[in-house]
Formats: sequence, structure tokens, C-alpha cells
Amino acid sequence: MSENFNIDDISNLASIELSEEEKAKLQKDLQIILEHVDALKNIDVKDEKIDIHPLSKVLELRKDESKESLKHEDAMMNSPETKDGHFVVPPSIE
Amino acid sequence: MNLKATIGMETHVELDTKSKMFCSCEVVETDEPNISVCPTCLGLPGALPVPNKTAIQYIVMLSLGANCKITNEGMFHRKNYFYPDLPKNYQISQFDFPVGVNGSLEIVLDEELHSVEIERVHMEEDTGKSVHMGSGRIDSATSTLLDFNRSGVPLVEVVTKPVISTSKMAVAYIEELRQLVIDLGISKGKLEKGNLRFDANISVANEDSNELGTKVEIKNMNSLKSLEKAIDYEIMRQSKQIKKGESVIQETRHWDENKQVTISMRTKEGSADYRYFSDPDLPNMIIDEEFINNSKKNIQNLPTDKRKTLKESGLSLSDSNYLDKGDKWLYDLYLSTVENTKDSKSTFNFLTGELQGQMRKAEIDELPDWVDSEKISNLINLFETNEVSFTSAKDILAKLLGEDIDPKTYATDNNLIQSSDDEEIKTLVTSVIKENQDIVERLEDPEDKLVGFLVGQVMKSSVNKVNPGSVKDILLKELFG
Repeated sequence: MSENFNIDDISNLASIELSEEEKAKLQKDLQIILEHVDALKNIDVKDEKIDIHPLSKVLELRKDESKESLKHEDAMMNSPETKDGHFVVPPSIE
Repeated sequence: MNLKATIGMETHVELDTKSKMFCSCEVVETDEPNISVCPTCLGLPGALPVPNKTAIQYIVMLSLGANCKITNEGMFHRKNYFYPDLPKNYQISQFDFPVGVNGSLEIVLDEELHSVEIERVHMEEDTGKSVHMGSGRIDSATSTLLDFNRSGVPLVEVVTKPVISTSKMAVAYIEELRQLVIDLGISKGKLEKGNLRFDANISVANEDSNELGTKVEIKNMNSLKSLEKAIDYEIMRQSKQIKKGESVIQETRHWDENKQVTISMRTKEGSADYRYFSDPDLPNMIIDEEFINNSKKNIQNLPTDKRKTLKESGLSLSDSNYLDKGDKWLYDLYLSTVENTKDSKSTFNFLTGELQGQMRKAEIDELPDWVDSEKISNLINLFETNEVSFTSAKDILAKLLGEDIDPKTYATDNNLIQSSDDEEIKTLVTSVIKENQDIVERLEDPEDKLVGFLVGQVMKSSVNKVNPGSVKDILLKELFG
């Protein structure tokens, strides 16, 4: 059984504000997911090759050549607010 | 209670590639924001990353240069966290299969060699840059401006094991790593441009304890000077707390350059909080022997090799390390000059003392075209053989930095050659003794200040320059036998 988790920590890390009702519901849902993961833990995979791609494809590398980027105007087009060529977002200090 | 500090370094090295890590946007150095951006490095939905082959080659070179074992089958992970300069909300990085593992770097501290063990060398991408707007304090900012030109620039993170014990050792390690990336030609290695950025993990524990103390991460050190000061400050802060019986909190602290203190930033997130998982957009990365061998071909004359060559020329370990970490032209000039002078110490002193000193004074960064090892070694030989005085040699060097002269011809034309003819000096000495009988009679011993006066008189009477040392020797011999 996976350890209990703190739903407040999870919502904080995900930057999602939750009401008390939502917390209770998600706590329950996530607990079920963790139980599924626990079931997976029982499968013996120690001799299996680690592969993250469904087609066992190997990563292809690109030649180091620069190509034309987006036009500045196009890059900024969907931004609600811009200033001196920057995207403007609410103050965010860590 | 005796305490000991343990330090581990995490260094980000910005690679010097033409294009970014996962897209073909040009890596630019400009103040004009958001001019080299595309859907991939802006994190727009549906954009797919394709890794830069040169960046992978560079990280393999760095791993080999740091004596690491290469992971033949590696993979990329997503490191999830929310911050506006990271538009995808995850950074593509590496987790349990980094490119290089278990290496070591040889560093020089004073006259001793030390080894710093490297835990891992992994590939990742840089974030964008934030500028916080508003007046006064950073925490009262009214908005944040974002520039994504740097977003996706290839970064290599080099992590040491916690094996460093002092701030000086940490500085020596960064200097060594910096020189390694410069000599490999994979990064510009300019600290002031942020090509190398480092964090230090510091803990303090009882000297007898086998366990490490609580780790505190220090960020925002922009120079080697601030790295040294921040580590010293943090060791002192933690030691004081432990001696008072208080516990140290695991956290990230930031070095405040103005106040010269570390300030708590936030409680440190553990690696589980980053919810690492393998990036489904990027299949397994195979680094086979052929790729490794091709990368090896680009590796030559690393800092350790250069130090060895310098030591073999007769220099001490610390002098060798000084030239190893200096400009390449100085290293080349030293080696070709010492071949002619055959005197390592005097060549080293002249180049690093006089030449570098005068260049700094004249605000010259590069040696003028006409100054080569032949001219410099001729000049060193002139004063080493007492043909000219050291003062004259310095004047000749100043002249040489300004115009194309031949040191010997210049010395001859300007009457700077000292006579080494003992007979000539003896004649001058005899006549000075004769003319200054009153003084000679007052002389009590060879230490008498009046001896200096008589040496001065001989120098004055000489048409050709004479070596003051030889004059004094001959004068004393004549007077006191």
C-alpha cells in the first residue's frame, strides 16, 4: 500500500486551488490510482529492458543548424499583454 | 565541538552550439527579446522536440574529459514545475540515466593535487529570462516580463559528490571545470555572461560523525569571489546554529551580494515533487562506441595535459596551474619562449609579472602581432646575462608593446647595454677612489652607506652603462681586499 499523501501538497505543486469538497473527492480518486500502481509494483520486471517508446524507436538526432524562427510579431500575437517585445505576466517571484 | 563542512557543487554549463537543444532556433546573444523563438521553445501545444547532435557530442566530450563512464542507452525525463519562464511547465532533463556517471576532476590547491569526484553529467535545456517590473524591492514587483530567447539553449549539469571541504577547494574546482569546457571548445565559459552558473550544497556536521549534516542549497553566486564568500558565510551560519544546539533547516538560500549574507528563499522541493517521468516525445538515446570514438577525436590538450607539459618545463605545480588557467596566447608564448631562454622561473616571472602587468596598465588584451617569443626571449636573455639592467628591460618591453623594435638593437642604440668588461670597471673604480680620497678615508666597513655613494660616482662616470652589482663587487675588493 502506498503511503498516504497530502492533497494540499499536491494542489500546491500543481498550482491548482481546490475547495474542501474537491479535496475530499480527489483524495479518494488519487488513492484508487495509487492502489492500481501498487498492483503494478508486484509485477516482476527486473529482467525486462527499459523502453519508454511503444515502437522501440531509437532517438534521432538533428544536425546543429539554425533555421528561421517565428517572426517576432507572430510569436507575440496571442499574448494578452506585451511590453517592449516581452510577454507580460502577473508578478511571479519565487 | 569540532565541526566539518561538506560541499557538493552543481554547475550548469551553457553549450556553444549554433542552434538550441530541441529546436532549430539560433542561439543568440542580444538584448532584443523574443526574436529567436518557435513553437517548440515557446512550449506551444503540439510542438515536438528533436535533439541537437552537436550538443550530445559536446556532453559526451565533457563526460569523457571528466573521466566519466558513458551511459550507452540514456533517456530524457520531464522535470515538472510551474514557473513563467518555463512555458511547457516541465524542463526536459535527465533523471536516472544521465549521459556521464562516476567521474573525477583533478584540481590544484596551492602545491597539491586533489581529486573531486563527479557523480553525474546530464543534458537539459535552459529556461527563458524574467524581468520583474515595479519600483524598489523585488517582492513588490507589479508585473513580470518574459524573454524566451534563452529558452531551450543546451545546458549540461555537472554534479559533484559531496567531497569538497572548503570554499577555496570549491573555487579551484569551478576554475578547473571552466578550463575544461574552454579547452574542449564546447562552451565560451564566461562566468560574467552566465555560460557557467553554479549552486553549492553545504552541510556542517560533527568532525567525528560519519553522517552528513542537513543540506542547504545556495544559489545566486555570480562570480568566484561571491562563491567563496557565500560558502564561508554559510559554513559560519550553520556552525553557529549547531553550536547553539539549534537544528539547521533543509532549504534553498540565496546569496545577497549587497548584504554579503545568505537569505532563505523557499523550502526545498524533493525530487519526488518534480514528478519526473520519461518524456514520451523522446525515445531512448543510444550513444554507441562509434559515437563515443568520434567524440573522442575532438578531445586534445586538456587542462591536465597542459599542466603536465608546463611542469615538465620546470615550473612548480601552482605556476603551471596559473598558466593552464590563463589565456591560450600566454600559454603558447610561455612554451615557445622557455624553449629559447631555458629558464622556466625567470620566463614565467617576466611574462606573468612584467608583460601582463604592462599590458593591463596599457589596457591591451591581446599581444601586438610583432611581439613574438623570439623578441621576448631575447629581451629576457638581455637582462638575465646582465647586458641590460632589469629597469632597462622593463623600458624596452614598454617600447616593444607600442612599436615593432628589436630589443637588442634598441638597447644598443639607446645606450642601455651594460659593460661586463671588468677591466673597464676597474679603471673607472680606481679613478673614482683617487678623486674621492676624503670619503675613502672615512669608510669604516663594507656596509658603510658611503659605499653606495662611491658606486653612484662610478656609474655616473661611465660612458657605457655598467652593472651596479659588478661595480660594487670590484669597488669593495679594491677598498677592503
